[in-house]
Amino acid sequence: MNRLPLSRVTRVALVSLMSLLAIPACSDDDADGPYADPHPSKGPGEETPDAGPPDSGTPDSGTPDSGTPDAGPTVWPQEFTCEGKETHALTFNPGQEQQLQNAVNDLKPCTTITLGAGTFRFDNAVTIRQDGITFQGAGRGAQGEGTGGASSTVLDFTNAAANTNGLDVVGKLFTLRDVALWGAQKDGLRVENSSNVLIQRIRTEWAQPNLPTNGKYGIYPVKSRYVIVEDCEAYNASDAGIYVGQTRYAIVRRNIAKQNVAGIEIENTKFAFVEGNTAIDNTTGLVVFDLPGNPIQGTDVLVTKNTITGNNRKNFASDSGSSSTVSQVPAGTGTFILASRRVEFVGNTWGNNNTVDIAVLSGLAIEPNPVLWSAGFFNFSTSDVSIHHNTFLGGSGGNVDSGETNPASRPLGYLISNLYAYGKAAAGVDRVEHVMWDGIDPAPRNENVANGMHLCFSNNVVPATTKASVVDLDLEAVQKKLTAATPDIVGAWAETRRYNQGAAPFNCSGFSPALKLP
Amino acid sequence: MRSPYMTRLGLAAVLLAAAVAACSGGNEDDTHIIDPPDAGDAGDASTPDSGLDAGDSGPGEDGGTDAGDDGGTDAGHEDGGTDAGTDAGSDAGPPPGTVTIPNELSGYNLFTGTPAGGDFKPVEGNIPYELTTPLFSDYSLKSRTLYIPAGKAALYSADAVLDLPVGTIITKTFAFPADFREPTKNVRPLETRVLVRQPQPVGWVAYPYVWNDALTEATLASGGKVFKDFSFIDEQGVTKKFDYLVPQRNQCQKCHHVVDEQDNQHLLPIGVKARYLNRDHTYGVQPVNQLQHLASLGKLEGLPPAAQVPRAPDAFNAGEADLTQRARTYLDINCAHCHNPKAQPGITSRLFLDIKTTDEFSLGYCKRPGSAGGGVGGEFDIVPGSHDTSILWFRMHTEISGKMMPEIGRALRHEAGAQLIADWIDAMPPRSCK
Repeated sequence: MNRLPLSRVTRVALVSLMSLLAIPACSDDDADGPYADPHPSKGPGEETPDAGPPDSGTPDSGTPDSGTPDAGPTVWPQEFTCEGKETHALTFNPGQEQQLQNAVNDLKPCTTITLGAGTFRFDNAVTIRQDGITFQGAGRGAQGEGTGGASSTVLDFTNAAANTNGLDVVGKLFTLRDVALWGAQKDGLRVENSSNVLIQRIRTEWAQPNLPTNGKYGIYPVKSRYVIVEDCEAYNASDAGIYVGQTRYAIVRRNIAKQNVAGIEIENTKFAFVEGNTAIDNTTGLVVFDLPGNPIQGTDVLVTKNTITGNNRKNFASDSGSSSTVSQVPAGTGTFILASRRVEFVGNTWGNNNTVDIAVLSGLAIEPNPVLWSAGFFNFSTSDVSIHHNTFLGGSGGNVDSGETNPASRPLGYLISNLYAYGKAAAGVDRVEHVMWDGIDPAPRNENVANGMHLCFSNNVVPATTKASVVDLDLEAVQKKLTAATPDIVGAWAETRRYNQGAAPFNCSGFSPALKLP
Repeated sequence: MRSPYMTRLGLAAVLLAAAVAACSGGNEDDTHIIDPPDAGDAGDASTPDSGLDAGDSGPGEDGGTDAGDDGGTDAGHEDGGTDAGTDAGSDAGPPPGTVTIPNELSGYNLFTGTPAGGDFKPVEGNIPYELTTPLFSDYSLKSRTLYIPAGKAALYSADAVLDLPVGTIITKTFAFPADFREPTKNVRPLETRVLVRQPQPVGWVAYPYVWNDALTEATLASGGKVFKDFSFIDEQGVTKKFDYLVPQRNQCQKCHHVVDEQDNQHLLPIGVKARYLNRDHTYGVQPVNQLQHLASLGKLEGLPPAAQVPRAPDAFNAGEADLTQRARTYLDINCAHCHNPKAQPGITSRLFLDIKTTDEFSLGYCKRPGSAGGGVGGEFDIVPGSHDTSILWFRMHTEISGKMMPEIGRALRHEAGAQLIADWIDAMPPRSCK
């Protein structure tokens, strides 16, 4: 493969570029309405194998590397069914925690577990390793409610043994609904290696905001298939409120994520439909990305009708010593797209995100060694990103990292902040544009191809005061100039290029076939 | 508290066990607890234990599903068949060879006496064994026994877990002395974990039994138990206080699992591998090699001459092997049940710590974790020459929830183990990973 330009930058630049942005991975849930059939009957088309040709590094971004959902309605395969099988029902009330623990460890398939209202206090995770299980409470309660009321069921893990999740599930045809998971040591809900999963009307929360010691993920389905997360709420996770990882076919809709480091994350996931969610007051709102070393190549992600505003919370993730954490995302990042392909944003609303509404980044910005991306057939590049018919409210991009830049822990924010401080003084550009493209993909960069990765920004509503909407930052060049022995801020600024909405080369119109909600 | 809680078998018992093994065949019953040690079992004829399915799960899965109820009330009876058809309307009995899971440990008839009486010991045929290097679990003392049904034998494997027959029962009792400076006094067993090999399609299943405060009985606790603020005095005289976690049945799979080609997870024992069993144990008066002992009882087939049997050293005896071998052995027994190419965490992390892995990248040299999260001490799993910037060491050394490894099974740091890995990493030729 081609030698990547990033490998030739100075060591300082490389080190800092490597850690520009980092996202955590894992270390590892109807159809028409909120009360409709618990498992979807319709879904995207047949799954296609991941193993595309290892076409790494070549700037052929235009070709989708995976199958796309067909237009016609198809049925999500159900890997397990309870039809025709004996079903079982168990009921528990507060005070019966040990009985519940014994029961979930001896479950028969196709059992419905119903929890009465009130507070269940657990000293260990609740684990489920059986198929056809429904786990339901009396209601998720309201934000801040750590004690169950007359119509809510709170599973309190505050005093659980260290190193345990809250609810920890491996199973086919799993449904969880109407409970709150409170104060888990690690993840609130972890569902792994499961299929036909419905997570509905639950709440995950930690008592105190802004604590790095809070659990990592609120709702975390990973390495699964056919997952729906809907009408849920996630608060105060020290990593991500809702994190769908390494999953094929997922619907994430009508959820609320607030006060997390990252609100909603779609990671290494094929065929994800993210609709009607609210991501407010996180460090970063709603993000789509792949991580290196994962065999599932994320593709075909439709993000629509979401509200992603005011994500300016100080980054409170634990930040000591790892290269690979969400801790390095600057506060005020509405959305970032990284190492992603075939991602469509339509009908969403962004605004009041201090750093930028949308950052479009290459995977090489976090991991420059392409070998480490080999598991996903060198899926570091971002391509085919279409952002159209959205609304940008404004108020974004004027206070990078919410004014608390830190070159060591969040170097990307530091770099942008310095660059735009100069831009404001020299060129009157007083805020980061709505979309910031790092200019890396397709790598190596070809200056003669203005938009080789096929990033489209068109037909969006932007404030009347918006000057330019998209910036090609050419991060590699900017970085090199800013980190030279004699920093060259003038030269660095000159590497950036701005484009108005509707102007070439970003005035393209999506891709075909279009993504569709099931 | 009394001591010792599990006495060693006398020579007579060993001889008796050998005699029983020699004369007994298989068991024709559909199910059984185990063959009583004193039974002549005259009528037994060997039955094949293959080709079974019988649809639903066996009676082993029945106990305790009713919340708040003691599921295994029929425990301890020989006629396990009664348990089978009581639910689910399945008219088929359990597959032949199925072990009925009793609600009390005593129901297995694998031990006599009690820890309270100081005479808790395995019956003849329930063979105690030790490992050359055991897995660390919060400093607990562990007593292991292996019961292989009459007329059956394990099949030797040079690398893998011994192929143990259907009906095999492995027990491991976890105990703490009040003061590790006097490790045989005031020993308090907390739990006995039982692994049972049932007929297919069930395979290995795991059951935790928690000892009562009187130390007279251990009772099935499918949901596990947390001994809050449990404490002991360590070898330095320092009191250690922590929450001791008896794992739930489902949590047993966290360590005891392997993923097959269809991506299904199966339970598997960890320590019963030739290399860890290849050591002496005193069964009567004379120490004897455990593998040879099993073979001489007719419980192990295919054992090659001693010189050909691999041996994992005692990781903490510098006289047995060099630093690298000892460190790799420690990682193999403590980490490789997850960190291997056939276990989910290994597949995800691509960090393989089993003894067979030789390429440095898979072992973590200068390897970035895909998903370490924040604050794990470094950027790379192993930075050669620098243990304190190596994530591998950090995870072994830390006691912080969410960062420590293994994920369950310890709340305390294994000082000696972390030091061994630190020494190993520091002895590597230094290398910058950047």
